[in-house]
Amino acid sequence: MAEHGSPGRLSRLVDTAPLLIFALLLAYIAFEAHNFFSLLSFKLILNQSLPVVIICMGLAFVVMAGGDDVVSGGIDLSIPATAVLCAGIIAQWLATNGSLPVAVALAAGAALLVGAINALLVTRIGMTPLLTTLSMFVAVVGVNNVVTSSRRINVSDPVILWLRDGQIAGVPVGIPIVALIALSFYHLAHRTRIGLNMQAVGGSRDAAETSGLDVKKLQSASFILAATTGFIASFFVLARGSGSSPGVENNLMLEMVLATFLGAAFSGRRVVTLWGAVLGAVLVAAISIGFKSMGVNVFWTGLIKGSLILAVVAFGALAQRGRR
Amino acid sequence: MTELTSNRSSSLLRHLFVRFGFLLAFFAFFVFFAAWNPVFLQGGNLLNIVEGSAILLIVALGMTLIVATGGIDLSVGIALDFGAAFAIVAMKSYGADWITAAALGVSGGSIVGIVNAILVVGLRISPFMATLGTFFIGSSVQRIFTNGGGPISHRRMPDEFRNLAMGDIGGVPVEVIVAAVLCVIYFLVLERSIHGRRIHAMGMQRLASIVAGIRVNRVLIASYIVAAMTCAIGGLIAAASIRMFTPLSGFSYLLDAIAAVFIGAALHPRGRPNVLGTIAGVLFLGMVVNGLNLMGLNFNVKDALSGIILVSALALAVAQRKMR
Repeated sequence: MAEHGSPGRLSRLVDTAPLLIFALLLAYIAFEAHNFFSLLSFKLILNQSLPVVIICMGLAFVVMAGGDDVVSGGIDLSIPATAVLCAGIIAQWLATNGSLPVAVALAAGAALLVGAINALLVTRIGMTPLLTTLSMFVAVVGVNNVVTSSRRINVSDPVILWLRDGQIAGVPVGIPIVALIALSFYHLAHRTRIGLNMQAVGGSRDAAETSGLDVKKLQSASFILAATTGFIASFFVLARGSGSSPGVENNLMLEMVLATFLGAAFSGRRVVTLWGAVLGAVLVAAISIGFKSMGVNVFWTGLIKGSLILAVVAFGALAQRGRR
Repeated sequence: MTELTSNRSSSLLRHLFVRFGFLLAFFAFFVFFAAWNPVFLQGGNLLNIVEGSAILLIVALGMTLIVATGGIDLSVGIALDFGAAFAIVAMKSYGADWITAAALGVSGGSIVGIVNAILVVGLRISPFMATLGTFFIGSSVQRIFTNGGGPISHRRMPDEFRNLAMGDIGGVPVEVIVAAVLCVIYFLVLERSIHGRRIHAMGMQRLASIVAGIRVNRVLIASYIVAAMTCAIGGLIAAASIRMFTPLSGFSYLLDAIAAVFIGAALHPRGRPNVLGTIAGVLFLGMVVNGLNLMGLNFNVKDALSGIILVSALALAVAQRKMR
């Protein structure tokens, strides 16, 4: 950016605005709600955000491999539905037959199928990812309602309960597990050939194709990966809700989109990144929990989240315009 | 020889598919439903399909306009809700007559369009994120206003208003007439006027249309407001038919409207969203819902089937266009 002259103070302020907004909001919450910054509530926030963190990383992969135009580029809105379907299959199987390994295998198969259908529709038929995954969301939720008969199913499997209650050195087990998953995804995206190739495809499809990359294969891989994150997230959905309940998918989807695209505002080039998505998911959870502990009426949370997404995205757009 | 004939027959099949694929599917479903339950074919039921699709058709028209400008509108349901809410409250709390109530409803819906226009044109937020934000905020406003989402009922509304949904002129339900009139207006403006040319030009090549002297911002502002007002008209009909305003009920039209528009776009030779295609898409979805209802399936199974049919119909329509 040096060629364009050093950026003025104002544009630097605009650049950091998204982070500033969050910092101010968190400071305000901390001021109003006592003990918000205590270790306990920090753990609570991280624990609550786990399912969203995982599916956000899946969405980040699809966006990285498909380009970040929401309408024509890569997006996968079906991940929350996949997560809920896997949770439903596991809960239903445990309730009727009882063996966890089989349940997990069935759920993994279902997730792979969803990912493969997404990949097929996008790369072979040529449907736009937005349309494909939005309609797949509806279809997958419909299938889940058949699997679970739209009922709540409690799960008392020891493994799921361990994910919910277990602690390692005072830290809920889910947090280090998801941290490990995040690290391995980071490795995949930035340190392996397939991850770097995926990013190349998202950066410029034409350039990637010209230099001999199998664009369709890489984009397919990103959808499969996204479905896999749905599968992984299902365990934490089950743990967080102590079972599978209908209707979780809507909130998951909204939080996933909010967090992932908020995350883009934190990156230097305003693009969706893995870390941005993770940070976005944690911050969204922090703000939800913060307002709850302040005693703010839940009816207002949509308003707050909506204004937040608009403020952050608007500053992002402004910053980009200033830089041109 | 055999190779030649098989080649010819496969190219014939291909030709048939490319030319009539979606129509054949439409027809196949029609025949299937008719064979399953003869009631499907009765005049009254066919009218039911059209009548049941009226609100969706109106919402889908608004969506067609926005997609034609190159955007997407996730807040159509909010505009619909606002239309219903403003009209009901005007009549119930202020004793407005039906014309005033309807006018207030439509202008209430236009607020949503104005907000979208400010976000998209003024702050340059991408339509997806902007309308997602409007959706969050609009949903929250409804919750706050109704104290959590309870319906506002108005049993003794003026007959004239009630007739928007219940009346008929010469045996044709008023809502069908309203939808048809809107279809004609949209068709003339979007497909047969200079304004429509401008909108399509801008949706296809935004930069080129700016260079060509189209006042892109003005067209965009008008489009968002008109689309929201159209959806609000749908809200009036919804309010008249159940004699109440149910918060957040507009959301259920969102996905079907998007699907109808994209089925319609896929049927268009150049893949553009268009009014006739949207009508075909809406009627297809209406027919599937009606036919599945008449099959008397379990509620959950019906839901899942219509989701799967939605994905397949979209895939078929897109595949048909890509093979041209």
